[in-house]
Amino acid sequence: MLKRPKKDENNTSFPATGNSEVKPTPPTPTPSPNVSQERYTSEEKTTIGERITIEGSIRGEENLAIEGAMKGNIEMGKHNFSIGPNGRIDGEIHAQDVTINGQFKGTIKALGKVAVTKKADFNGEIKAKSFSVEDGAYFKGVVELDREPHKQPAAAEIPRGPSVPEAAKKPIVPRTDVKVEK
Amino acid sequence: MISPTSRHRYNSDAETLPVGYNSTILKEFVDTLERLGDAQTLDVGPVCQENITFFARRMARHHVCDMFSWLKRENGKELRTGDEWKYFDYPERNFNGIQLWDLCDYLEDADMIRLVKLCYKMLRASGLLMLIAFEKKPAVSIANTFVIGQGYRVDIRPQPHLELPWKFRHNRALTSLLSHFIIVRSFRYHSGIREFLFKKPKSVRD
Repeated sequence: MLKRPKKDENNTSFPATGNSEVKPTPPTPTPSPNVSQERYTSEEKTTIGERITIEGSIRGEENLAIEGAMKGNIEMGKHNFSIGPNGRIDGEIHAQDVTINGQFKGTIKALGKVAVTKKADFNGEIKAKSFSVEDGAYFKGVVELDREPHKQPAAAEIPRGPSVPEAAKKPIVPRTDVKVEK
Repeated sequence: MISPTSRHRYNSDAETLPVGYNSTILKEFVDTLERLGDAQTLDVGPVCQENITFFARRMARHHVCDMFSWLKRENGKELRTGDEWKYFDYPERNFNGIQLWDLCDYLEDADMIRLVKLCYKMLRASGLLMLIAFEKKPAVSIANTFVIGQGYRVDIRPQPHLELPWKFRHNRALTSLLSHFIIVRSFRYHSGIREFLFKKPKSVRD
């Protein structure tokens, strides 16, 4: 079942003007195409219900949530995608942010964040800008995030005495509360 | 002869969880792998956001295979045959480093031997294997996450959903189970945590 929330007709926003004196103006009957597009992408979400099974691919220009089963690829561009607690997906997902509450097997390529909740059963690969996972999630996979450049250990990090430069050549000494076993 | 493995639940020497500590072995593990530039690592869990992010930002490819959740799922089943280990199915010589955390504390000797054999196959030559073992019984017999923080500080976060039987092994028992590896370093902290860093020999026949 496809569920689409109704737009809030009273929640029309108007661009602010630089004038300090605001004159009453008649309400605009229809918002400009830009405003419409903005509201559409930020608020609209289509939900595919639990009793729906899809085989094939989905391409969308609005946020999508799947509560049912799906086998195939999902291309959401800069829109968000989520799998509900009973959802099951086997395929590849391209989206802005992705939230996994249900079962997933495949690859996720997100422009933003991938969030895996504790209800999730994940088996696959993630390429994203950032990532979160809750303790308790079933997780087997590969995570690739934007990498930090490798920092070479700075000279200041090496313990050395001011009058004994040879100390720099010695390996890092463990903390004093540590007993080394060989 | 006394078995090196004893069930934790019969150990009356229960203690509260030790507080966090600065891990020297973890630092060595990460520094060595980071220097490779294109290292592939494997973390056997429990699944932990901080740790995944930590490794994924430093390694070329970071794999996570939560064996703790898998053990919990398989609870009650015999794990002695090879088939059950299909979950841990990675190609040979795939990783530069494997982070076992304290998984060995939850495995019987036969399963531990199987795990070590698999890790040996999965590691590349000179690949590193890090593991942790508690010396004293935690107050509650549940698995813990070793959460990596700033400056290689490791804090312990209990995982109440992962109640698993706990085993104790002496250092000698642990190192003998990993005898195919070269022991690089081992530390024992006052909190009772033992850390081990092993290395796969450079030129060996797998």
